[in-house]
Amino acid sequence: MALQLRQKGFDTYVMAGGLKAWRKARLPTELVPAEDVELLPKFH
Amino acid sequence: MPEIVNAVVNYGYLSLFVALFLEAIGLPIPGAIALLAAGAAAETGALHPLLALLVAASAMLLADCLLYFLGRRSGWSLLSVLCGLSLSPETCILRAARWFYERGRTTLLFAKFLPGVNTMAPPLAGSMNMRAGQFLRFDVAGASAYILAYGALGFLFHGMFQWIAGKVQAFSVVVGWVVLAGFAAFIANRAWYYLRHRAHRSIRRASVKEIADRLSGGNPSPIVIADVRSHGYYDPDEQRVRGSIRIEPNNLEAAIDTLPRDRPIYLYCT
Repeated sequence: MALQLRQKGFDTYVMAGGLKAWRKARLPTELVPAEDVELLPKFH
Repeated sequence: MPEIVNAVVNYGYLSLFVALFLEAIGLPIPGAIALLAAGAAAETGALHPLLALLVAASAMLLADCLLYFLGRRSGWSLLSVLCGLSLSPETCILRAARWFYERGRTTLLFAKFLPGVNTMAPPLAGSMNMRAGQFLRFDVAGASAYILAYGALGFLFHGMFQWIAGKVQAFSVVVGWVVLAGFAAFIANRAWYYLRHRAHRSIRRASVKEIADRLSGGNPSPIVIADVRSHGYYDPDEQRVRGSIRIEPNNLEAAIDTLPRDRPIYLYCT
């Protein structure tokens, strides 16, 4: 995706290690907004 | 005569237990033929029918419970792996979850008769939070039906054992080839994916420290951080990088219009 965006003129980079590395470095996170969450069905 | 039959004849209950346990955890062991052989052996008095039934059921339930708790522990990551080959993993996960939610209980009753499904149903039930008691009820019923069907077939028609075992084995061979073809397709897909994305190695990478330093450099933020996880968010306590935006990989074209061209964009996934 970074390559696709760069080919369309965006200045893109990839975060090394992703979210896991971000959390490991104890950098700030937040809850994903409720409207972006699509709960999968679960048995109850 | 298939080797599994010799094993049942020579090693009795132990071989029956091992064969059914290994089949239940997904190894290509012909458990149905082991049950046929056990049924035929029970008819001749070599095995006790009730004890053979208990041994077979114990093996299957032990394996299924292990897979169920593996599913409980792994959560949605199991479905993510299974849907990894799909063109749209997110859609695949949503559909699979809804399908199993509607038909999971019935599936557990018949899963043992369907190669592949027999191994996937217990961990799916676990990852979808089916209550352990409910899972056990359906799984015991399904395993019992499977054991009794093949065991009784071997017991009642022991004279035709060779013929029946031959048919079951032929079916197993066909299923084996289908599974092998699926595995080959998976390897080919991964190889194609690797070759296709070799060019991506030229993409610039930035460390989290570098990004955090740039992020604290101004207000409004001088950079954009974009979450591009392809499998979506399925749990209410899902976290992301603070201040990041979501770009849905399957909807990239629509997202492009909303992205700024005057600031660097840092993409991340899990």
